Amino acid sequence: MDGILDNLLLGFSVAFRPDILLYAFIGCLVGTLVGMLPGIGPLAGVSILLPATFGLDATKAIIMLAGIYYGSQYGGSTTSILMRIPGEAASVMTCIDGHAMARKGRAGAALAIAAVGSFVAGTFGVIMLTLVAPPLASFALRFGPPEYTALLVLGIIFLAYMSTTSLLRTMLMACTGLLFGCIGIDVMTGHFRYSFDIKELGDGIGIVPVAVGLFGLGEILSTPSKTVAEKISPPKFRELMPTREEWRESAAPIARGSVLGFLVGIVPGSAHIIASFLSYAVEKRISKTPEAFGKGAVAGVAGPESANNAASTGAFVPMLALGLPTGPVIAVLMAALLIHGVPPGPQLVTEHPQVFWGFIASMYVGNLMLLALNLPLVGVFVRVLQIPYAYLYPLIIMFCIIGVYEVNHSIIDVWIMLIMGVLGYLLRKFDFDPAPLVLGLVIAPTFELSLRQSLVMSNGNWTIFFTRPIAGVLLVISGVLLALAAASWLSRKDWRSNLPAEEADKP
Amino acid sequence: MRRDHVAGGIFIVAGALVLLVSQDLPFGTLPSPGAGMLPVLLIGLMIALGAGLVLGAGASPPAWEIAWGDLPHALKVIVPACAAVAFYTTGGFLLTMACLLFFLTFVVERRPLLIAVPFSVGVTVLAHTLFSNILKTPLPRGVLGF
Repeated sequence: MDGILDNLLLGFSVAFRPDILLYAFIGCLVGTLVGMLPGIGPLAGVSILLPATFGLDATKAIIMLAGIYYGSQYGGSTTSILMRIPGEAASVMTCIDGHAMARKGRAGAALAIAAVGSFVAGTFGVIMLTLVAPPLASFALRFGPPEYTALLVLGIIFLAYMSTTSLLRTMLMACTGLLFGCIGIDVMTGHFRYSFDIKELGDGIGIVPVAVGLFGLGEILSTPSKTVAEKISPPKFRELMPTREEWRESAAPIARGSVLGFLVGIVPGSAHIIASFLSYAVEKRISKTPEAFGKGAVAGVAGPESANNAASTGAFVPMLALGLPTGPVIAVLMAALLIHGVPPGPQLVTEHPQVFWGFIASMYVGNLMLLALNLPLVGVFVRVLQIPYAYLYPLIIMFCIIGVYEVNHSIIDVWIMLIMGVLGYLLRKFDFDPAPLVLGLVIAPTFELSLRQSLVMSNGNWTIFFTRPIAGVLLVISGVLLALAAASWLSRKDWRSNLPAEEADKP
Repeated sequence: MRRDHVAGGIFIVAGALVLLVSQDLPFGTLPSPGAGMLPVLLIGLMIALGAGLVLGAGASPPAWEIAWGDLPHALKVIVPACAAVAFYTTGGFLLTMACLLFFLTFVVERRPLLIAVPFSVGVTVLAHTLFSNILKTPLPRGVLGF
């Protein structure tokens, strides 16, 4: 414990540097805007702004990009409550009761409860991250290739099990992503794979063009401007204070949402989305007045908002401790660290303590900044929403092109982004979630390398994955989850069916 | 014909095509896995999952129910974006992006000329200043030198 406190002090000495504070603030501000604006989610926001961090050191870059990520979870609630438009998918649940509260003239209270819930959950998540990540990283130092292979298999199976779409669809997307990850030179034999004499493809397909294409451009292609509402009336500052009764009703859902969100967050998958759905379902289930849900229940805002913020923080645990991405945004953040020469994973704590602890400490500060930003400045942010979408999306397309081109100064990357944009549009038409594809692409090199290294070191004996205790346990868990998921699929009844029908259908 | 018949069929055909172009990749053996081992295993899995989707397609909505109402908008956006990317390195950032923004706001979105022109030029110049001068990440210059 003393060691953690000493390290945290080191982190705060980094996080309180004026230049670091500035980048954390920029990240939180941009993240809030990204979360509010329909058509640009946290993934597109982080990906598009990744090139803007090239001139920074690794600590500033990751602090700014992470600020965009968790800032977007705060910002998403504003559009959900005021306009019934979720700025990003995790805010879908907030729309239901948040907007109902707004229609009753309690928009200010709903925004305040969402912001305070997000702050409490975010801070709880960071405390847990501080306590859990370092010991987990020490444990992960025992991992060899078979353990990493098993861990990545478990990650994919978890993703399929927890996904908001079906098992088959998620597995198909993950499989496609892994296959995309095979493009380029094979690191073990030097063979060119699927590069079709295009030399730029020798290095493989980058995460940024795929992520920006699927989530940034793909979203724009399927959002005609006439579908985006433009009329909103922000609450006045004095209307932001909830009543004593509203505070009382929100306390327990915030606490439950924080714990539930963190636990769901460390599991691979669209954690913050699932966490908000689960929290809503839990609150409705245990409520003494379930009929109030959908009509402006305070718990329907407090629970999901807290859960999605805690989950966003929880998602950093596997990234920092194991080098395992739990979602596409985390994958892009990992790519950012790699670009800056800092490999995420167990060695991060020991080899780059300034980055690790500076990053964690900055999240405490970032959560405070977001609370200060989101409540008093809600009126200012809402004005940004009044920019007509007809001007906004051309701007986003321009930033997509700049962002992707600047990573490698490669026009091929920009073409890949356009192709992925069309693919993202088509995938939405056929009800596929593109997130597992990005995740598959990210883990593909590590997965292939550790799988082949395991087979080489065991002289082709595949039982190595079961005879080593850690790998064996991970694979047994994978098998159980797969069996459960398959059983749910065959009986056409899984955890999603426990959600109310209108929520289960939402993206 | 159901939605998942189409989706599953596309994955099966795509898998078969990728398998076809994977012929020259050595599969290797278990003690010495080749460059083609993982791709071929993944293609097999993809085809199997695609077949699973087709088999369970009965529960999915009819294929003709997929809403394509946003397709004209998508085409109006993606075609000029492709044109802009084609000319990005030869036309340069300033010219290409100003033209793209103008086309999307004035032609596609039918916004007033007097707003579309300053918006396109102003935003492009601002973005150029931000990236080239402040963030020091050079943007492409065209054959005209800017």
